[in-house]
Amino acid sequence: MNRKRTALSVAAAGTATGVVGLVLLAAPAGADEAPPTLPEVSAEALVQSVLTSDVPALSGTVKVSSDLGLPVPGLPTGDEAVRVYTDGQGKARISMDQGRGEKTVIADGATTWLWNSADRSVVKYDSAAEHRADRSTEEKLADPAAVSLEFITAMRADSTVSVDGTAKVADRPAYQLVLTPKPTERTLLREVRIAVDSETRLPLRLEVLANGSAEPALSVGFTEFATGAQDAGLFTFTPPAGAKVTDGNAEAREHQPTEQQKKDFLATINPKVVGEGWDTVLVGTVPADLLKAEVSGKDADGRKAAGTPLDLLKQFGKPVSGPFGTGFVITTKVGTALVAEDGRVAVGAVPQQVLVDALGQK
Amino acid sequence: MTAALDEPRATARRAPLTRLLRSELRMVLRRPRTLIGLALLALVPVVAGIGIAIATGSSSGESVGDGLASLVEGNGLLLPIFGLTMSMTMLLPLTGAMLAADALAGEAANGTLRGLLVAPVGRARLLAVKAFGVAAVSLFAVLLMAATGIVAGLLLLGGDGMLTSSGTTLPFGAGLGRVLLTVVLVTVQVWALAAVALAVSAWTEHPLIVVVVSLGVVIVSGVLSVIPALDWLTPALITTSWEAIPEVVKDPLPTATLLTGVLRAGCYILIGYSIALSRMLTRDG
Amino acid sequence: MSGSTEFGTVAGSPAAVPAARTRGLRKVYRGTVAVDNVDLEVPTGAVLGMLGPNGSGKTTTIRMLLGLVTPTAGEVELLGRKLPEGAAESLPEVGALVEGPGFHPFLSGRENLLRAAAAEPHLSTSRIPAAVGAALERVGLAHAANRRFRGYSLGMKQRLGLAGALLVPRRLVVLDEPTNGLDPAGTREIRTIMADLHAAGTTVVVSSHLLAEVEATCTHVAVLNQGTVVAQGELADLLDAGSATLLVSTPEVEAAVDALRDHRIPARSLAEGIRVDLTATTAPEVVETLVKAGVPVHEVRRQRTGLEDLFARLTEDPVDAAELDPTSDPLVPQETR
Repeated sequence: MNRKRTALSVAAAGTATGVVGLVLLAAPAGADEAPPTLPEVSAEALVQSVLTSDVPALSGTVKVSSDLGLPVPGLPTGDEAVRVYTDGQGKARISMDQGRGEKTVIADGATTWLWNSADRSVVKYDSAAEHRADRSTEEKLADPAAVSLEFITAMRADSTVSVDGTAKVADRPAYQLVLTPKPTERTLLREVRIAVDSETRLPLRLEVLANGSAEPALSVGFTEFATGAQDAGLFTFTPPAGAKVTDGNAEAREHQPTEQQKKDFLATINPKVVGEGWDTVLVGTVPADLLKAEVSGKDADGRKAAGTPLDLLKQFGKPVSGPFGTGFVITTKVGTALVAEDGRVAVGAVPQQVLVDALGQK
Repeated sequence: MTAALDEPRATARRAPLTRLLRSELRMVLRRPRTLIGLALLALVPVVAGIGIAIATGSSSGESVGDGLASLVEGNGLLLPIFGLTMSMTMLLPLTGAMLAADALAGEAANGTLRGLLVAPVGRARLLAVKAFGVAAVSLFAVLLMAATGIVAGLLLLGGDGMLTSSGTTLPFGAGLGRVLLTVVLVTVQVWALAAVALAVSAWTEHPLIVVVVSLGVVIVSGVLSVIPALDWLTPALITTSWEAIPEVVKDPLPTATLLTGVLRAGCYILIGYSIALSRMLTRDG
Repeated sequence: MSGSTEFGTVAGSPAAVPAARTRGLRKVYRGTVAVDNVDLEVPTGAVLGMLGPNGSGKTTTIRMLLGLVTPTAGEVELLGRKLPEGAAESLPEVGALVEGPGFHPFLSGRENLLRAAAAEPHLSTSRIPAAVGAALERVGLAHAANRRFRGYSLGMKQRLGLAGALLVPRRLVVLDEPTNGLDPAGTREIRTIMADLHAAGTTVVVSSHLLAEVEATCTHVAVLNQGTVVAQGELADLLDAGSATLLVSTPEVEAAVDALRDHRIPARSLAEGIRVDLTATTAPEVVETLVKAGVPVHEVRRQRTGLEDLFARLTEDPVDAAELDPTSDPLVPQETR
């Protein structure tokens, strides 16, 4: 049965090759690779080089994934890929899928355009005018470099900074910069790992690890990363024929609260920062009538939601009492929020007790 | 070999391959089922175009749908891409499965496969001829849809160049290039399913089983891809590449994603044809 | 391919190499033995009729002869080349009509033949239209060539299948039930075509359940029963040997049968005597045995029968058939060994 044997070996070889191909496609790139060997660098020098590095012209894909243990509105829940391009001179382009449409942000130096394919709308901002206030969380998260830089600057003083080996991120060798809270810090977070590109010294990935969890609670990083001059055409935008174009600046001005309104609002909210570093807690007050107001509307998934915010808290939160009175606490892997019944609120990447203390400080 | 048996004959050992391929194509394109299928597919973009044109005319300002549909309005060159990606959810895979079912299982049931085997056409060669027939007619079906889509799009919806989902406008030539790229990507995906279907087709004499199993593969893949616990499986599923096809209307092109889809299809084609070949070599005719 | 023969019977004379030969052929389908221990030999130039009741393994044997089915065990040699290796060389010279004609219903008769012709290695592209025309003419289908196959009568379909087998001059033509569905006139035509092929030196293997058909057209016969060849050889020899039964009149029927069976001579009791099968013995031996056993013999008479009786005796009586030892079956003439 020579023919049969040939046939079976052909089938086995072909099928095996195909299956191996599929497995390779399914396996995350570089998952099983040994960490690259890089020249030693001190944590101090690495941080310094990160802080002074300039963003070169580059293109890449950024993936954001979170596992907070509680869905947080506005944060991408699944794995979402965002395409980014920049010429290193302040022009940039970000595009991301949103539902079944595409959102594109183009900063051409003078103007920032926001294109949404779902309703073919264009919002136009004059970059020279005030800083855009309505940057969505996704847009901010789409830049691992910026997020990492902000974080390093804020946290250096209260952290132990070390270099923990190397890793391959977006197929590039990178140093793993680890910021661990000093022992005196009372926080839910175990550490923050930042993968720094060995060549450009640009943060390629930021991972937030909570206590008691091996997987990152939040991860923002490049899955593809390539430096090099970008096509100038990427950074220009002409609103297509038939698109609705609105002036974002004008709209923002219209909705801009007056100075008095702002003051009143701030007075009501009375925001206050308690502590510093990892156990920073933000304390404020939500007007009690707002807390008890009947809200009806659609939540993120389009389901009808009704009831007062307090009802919702009762549903999701855990009752807690202390020197501040009574309230409800909501805990995620990376942070805790406490809402007192009198409307005072405390939020931070800290255990519940720290919030109770912060509210009790007055 | 004895001298008596081996009297000189000025004849070839095998029938010329091009002759076989031509004959196969002529036969497949004469089959009533194929013709009806092609006609229906050609109508899809036209019907979609008419629907969108009517929807645009009646509801001013409101978007006519989500995803690609919202972009097709007044953007005629996008109609073929819209039609093709829409058909990729069911009609085109069904066509590929049907062609593969008729190619081996149908012919075996008909007794026509036997005729070719005793001619003789070698079994590997026979599979190659059949695979060619399926591949060529699927390509033809996709091209036909693209052609009717372009004509219907330009006539019914008009538009200058092609508006991409990224908000840029491509000139007509580049837009046409995107349509052709879609044709290639869609065809490769249809080939992948047809390869799997052909493997099934080599195992049975009932064409309906082939179609049912192929659609089963599509449906199961679709179900598996939406189960969060099986996310790790998603990159290996045949339908994953299909969902990425609408990305051809992004600017710039997400080359990596599209290439991954083609590679994935290639893996399925390899697996499908390996199994089909092994079965053809051992199958009783 | 060198074409060396597996059985080592390379000889100068064409007759020495049979057109087809099988040895120890066995086919098991999902645990069911369809064909077992088939040693078939088709002499070159012969018209061999394959006889056997339904399910006796005729079609399976033919399919293995043509390389369509891979035998579970055993060997097939077709036109001097072993299968499956030699299939590419021998099959182009073999025309076949197996298990009914297989054609596309939506194509016309001519288009179907054009498609079959495209696969023929021994037909150059330029000669295809003429060959198809000639084949249609030969089977009397020229008038209906452009009608769809779907609309053909059973007889027309059968003729188209025959035309497909005759597209190219063949050295061996294998026809599985060629007269199926044909009217008497059609049957006569097939007989004429087979006679023409035979006259032209083509070897023909034809399976049929019509014994008269085989008796009228065949030079050789192979009888299959329950998956194995129970008799094969030249038709004349088989009729001679096979028809030989001896009718013995005796009052002591029981004693006569017992005496013969003790000597492994098959015999059956009749009303006033016994019928003795002469395939494994001779008349004098029977008489001698009976006389030695003290059985009174009143009359001994030879009885001549046709193929139908032979067939019935070989296939319908399992007791007698079982008593025939296939390895020493004298029904198989020595010259075909």
